[in-house]
Amino acid sequence: MKKIIQRLSNGIITENPTFVQVIGMCPTLAVTTGAENGIGMGLATTAVLVGSNLFISLLRKFIPSKIRIPAYVVIIASLVTLIEFTLKAYVPALYSQLGLFIPLIVVNCIILARAEAYASKNKLLPSIMDGLGMGLGFTLALATIGAVREILGAGKVFGVQILPSSYQPALIMILAPGAFFTLGILMAILNHVRSKKMKNA
Amino acid sequence: MKEILKLGLILFVITAVAAGLLGFANEMTKEPIAKQVQQTKEEAMKQTLPQADQYESVEVDLPEESMILEVNAGYKGDVLEGFAVKVAPKGFGGAIEIMVGVSKDGILQGVKILNHSETPGLGANAEDPVFTSQYEGKSGQLKVVKATPGAEDEIQAITGATITSKAVTAGINEVLNLIEHRVDTDNNEIIFDFN
Repeated sequence: MKKIIQRLSNGIITENPTFVQVIGMCPTLAVTTGAENGIGMGLATTAVLVGSNLFISLLRKFIPSKIRIPAYVVIIASLVTLIEFTLKAYVPALYSQLGLFIPLIVVNCIILARAEAYASKNKLLPSIMDGLGMGLGFTLALATIGAVREILGAGKVFGVQILPSSYQPALIMILAPGAFFTLGILMAILNHVRSKKMKNA
Repeated sequence: MKEILKLGLILFVITAVAAGLLGFANEMTKEPIAKQVQQTKEEAMKQTLPQADQYESVEVDLPEESMILEVNAGYKGDVLEGFAVKVAPKGFGGAIEIMVGVSKDGILQGVKILNHSETPGLGANAEDPVFTSQYEGKSGQLKVVKATPGAEDEIQAITGATITSKAVTAGINEVLNLIEHRVDTDNNEIIFDFN
């Protein structure tokens, strides 16, 4: 039980894929124009991550290490396609929001990294929890970046106007440079907090 | 040699299982996906040409360079009310699919952006009713201006997205041109003429 919680908090905080490991930057920078997109992308990635960790952990004794990478890629790509079909058929609104980015999940290195670093060496349940933790950490990071960019760039959060209309939105925050600004500043803040904590300890 | 065969066989098993599963999933979701596409289209036609209650696709021999994808005639009962035309002009980030509702005398009833890959926060704002509602009630050929529109045929561009605004307007202009000059709707019969 302790290990399960530890896996979750490891993914969300200690080894947060975005802010600590700094992997999966392509979707992070591309889809975070709003909080809603961030959460949608994060949850879709979480679903793939849990699924791929599950199957790779199950098959870890069956897949020889020499062909593990192609095997992982086949598993991940199949899961992504399954999710794409499902979204298209039953949640078309989310699909039209994420459409372009769903195939990108295949090449999200968080997924391959967790398969290689964790699921291929660990038992089923911890692997699933690892995927869930990493996925939620990724979702949290994307939602935060998305919210900051949406507030500054459009005066809204989740599409709801929160800043007075006298606020002139800083369009650059919604464009690509805004993604780098936000990510850099958030990482700097988190590193500052962490180094302070270390000093106190 | 033996090892290569073994590795190949294992990889084959994995890919074969994956392919089988995907084929199965494709079969399962084919119908709901087709239904969703149809439903989205019907909703778009209803929104852009609300006075009609029945829509029928019309076969048109469009010129090759045309941006128009499909033409649907909208009827109320037996009476032809207008057309819901799907057009796809090229925007900043690729084709922008638009459903354009036009009454049979060539007046714009509604415009809805169906699909696009425009820049979020800029061109993507074309979806906003604040922009699309500008077209309602207009006719003839429209042009995009950056200031507040003064004349009847002017459309205000989206801030920072002139290319998108112009593309949408060009698509709509082509539809207007088609309905005004190329269609004969006498006696409820629809005749297209491109000569």
